[in-house]
Amino acid sequence: MDILALQLLLGIVFLTVVFLHISKKDFGAVIAYSIQSLAMVAILFFSFLQTHDISLLYIVAMTLLVKVVLAPIFFVRLVKKYALVFSVSTYLNTPLTLIIIAALTAIAHSQKLFSLTNIVPVNHAMLALALSTILLALFLIVNRRGALSQIIGILSFENGIVAFGIFAGLEQSFGLQMGIIFNILLWLIIATAFVSMLYKHFGSLNVTSMKQLTD
Amino acid sequence: MELLFILAAFVVAVLISLLIKHRGVIEFTAVAATLVALAGSIKIALTVAATGSYSVAPFFTVDALGAIVMLIIAFIGFPTMIYSVQYLRQETAKNIIGFTRVRQYFILLNLFLAAMLLAVAANNPIITWISVEATTLSTAFLISFYNKPSAMEAAWKYLIINSIGLLLGFLGTLLYFTAIDPSVDNGLISWQSLMANAGLLNPLIAKIAFIFVLIGYGTKVGFAPMHTWLPDAHSKAPAPVSALLSGVLLNVALLVVLRFKVVTDAVIGQSFSQILLILFGVVSILVATLIIITQKNYKRLLAYSSIENMGIIALGFGFGGWGIFAAILHMIYHALIKSTLFLSAGTIFLKYSSTKIFKVRGVLTALPISGIIFLVGFFAITGAPPFGIFLTKIFILTAGINTNLVVSIVAILLMATVFVGFFKHATAMTFGEKPAEIKAGEISTWLVVPPLALILAALFLSLYVPQFLLTLLNAAAARY
Repeated sequence: MDILALQLLLGIVFLTVVFLHISKKDFGAVIAYSIQSLAMVAILFFSFLQTHDISLLYIVAMTLLVKVVLAPIFFVRLVKKYALVFSVSTYLNTPLTLIIIAALTAIAHSQKLFSLTNIVPVNHAMLALALSTILLALFLIVNRRGALSQIIGILSFENGIVAFGIFAGLEQSFGLQMGIIFNILLWLIIATAFVSMLYKHFGSLNVTSMKQLTD
Repeated sequence: MELLFILAAFVVAVLISLLIKHRGVIEFTAVAATLVALAGSIKIALTVAATGSYSVAPFFTVDALGAIVMLIIAFIGFPTMIYSVQYLRQETAKNIIGFTRVRQYFILLNLFLAAMLLAVAANNPIITWISVEATTLSTAFLISFYNKPSAMEAAWKYLIINSIGLLLGFLGTLLYFTAIDPSVDNGLISWQSLMANAGLLNPLIAKIAFIFVLIGYGTKVGFAPMHTWLPDAHSKAPAPVSALLSGVLLNVALLVVLRFKVVTDAVIGQSFSQILLILFGVVSILVATLIIITQKNYKRLLAYSSIENMGIIALGFGFGGWGIFAAILHMIYHALIKSTLFLSAGTIFLKYSSTKIFKVRGVLTALPISGIIFLVGFFAITGAPPFGIFLTKIFILTAGINTNLVVSIVAILLMATVFVGFFKHATAMTFGEKPAEIKAGEISTWLVVPPLALILAALFLSLYVPQFLLTLLNAAAARY
């Protein structure tokens, strides 16, 4: 039951990254990231149920606060403030994007990366899915032209790494995990502040409109 | 204890900058904090030279290379902070910035220095990662300091590219932990336990992990092809920040790569990491050389020179043997000379209000002392004797000739091309007639003393290496 539930949750994380690739609206992307983070919180909560380690509960609470509550609030404010209804486009068109998504997922499941996905043999399938999430999030960052999409891509990348770490049995101590979450919170605040400043300077969040560095 | 004093000094400086609205007090505490850092770093380096390591268990440990990098941070941090005071006063006088900006600057610069010291001293790879990430966060606003579109673009590139790089580095770090029981050291896995358990690490995972770490932290080092953020960020930041970014931060990131290299070497032998370092080294030198010869902006020129020099250092570690000793020495010389050049470039910018090479003529007339420092720095960075870079390049290439002849010959040709490119730009800027509207004379003594002290230190260390530093160099070369 636990394994099935974890597979389902990780599947949600993976699918939200796929959705982020094809999403045309910024609001949809924010919702997708919220769902992805909620699934991550649920995965962490499962770890707590298995270990009964009370410190994990604090981490679950902090992750919930930062990724499921604060991050979407920041993003929705940006979307409303700058009327960012439609997300700026991708460098590759949708069919090509989907082909690359399929290819990256296949690579993550291939024998070439077997040593990575077999760190904990019993979790092989989930590690492969987490690795797929990491690769797709990386591709999301480079394929999207919107600054907001890039931020969500980086945060999804981080979610993918956290999922990989959990299923590979590489959870860190309470203090370190809190440090990492605090770091992410700071990064989020700074990145959001930069998005506002970029909009003020360039009148758009399309990173291809930034052409000041021509030297 | 010294380390705690240093960190406390920076925390106090940040708090004072936040709470007190008196510019003089903010400037004084910032300079005082860097002085405390300098004194503490020297004490730590002496301890490491005498006993082999410095430890504040269980969180901090400084080894020989860590002590050298700490010295670099503190030794450059102190004059750079003094320079910053006068540099910002000049910019305030020109109505470029106001008090709020000055306050932000000193808060962020103190945080930046503290984060770099933490990254070097942290005994745990995750705390190191958090600290390196903190350097990115603290410097992003320093790069966008002038709030211009170009600075904003540079800062955004810096933030995004480095964040991706550091997340890759984080993934690589986690992979190294697969050999260790998470409950070891109460979950605070140290560099020492990573090394002690290296034998348990799957060799294939060790290779993949090192690739992630090299690409991840290598982005921060400025290795090509992940270097694209570096020329933009270093050229758009205020000159003292550029001095620290180019002269200091790159070494901090490289130190992290080298720490993982040692663990990887213990698992699969040296050849894998050496081949990768040679590859990234030669590509970095090549990319930098091609751009240096056609460069039109002198701050970007210096930034590309940093990429070239990081490539040379990587070659040294890749070649092994004497190359490692020379690479560490090169790290020190490059840090001192590059910060000299960036500080002098700041003075030139204040005088000419332009970073375009073609707009800067007759620097030796316009800025008699800063001009000489700038010209000497140019020659020093390209490896002209008597500066130490001349010898370190020879040692690195000699080490390479024995093991990688073709790479060494290519590197020699590229370094010669860089010298020609630099010579062309440096002579064009320093000699000739200055524009009529530019008044001759130094702007302020306090804009001259810091770069002068740094170039004199580089010259001194080129002619004589103190015994304690030699001990640290030998110990670091033996370990890495």
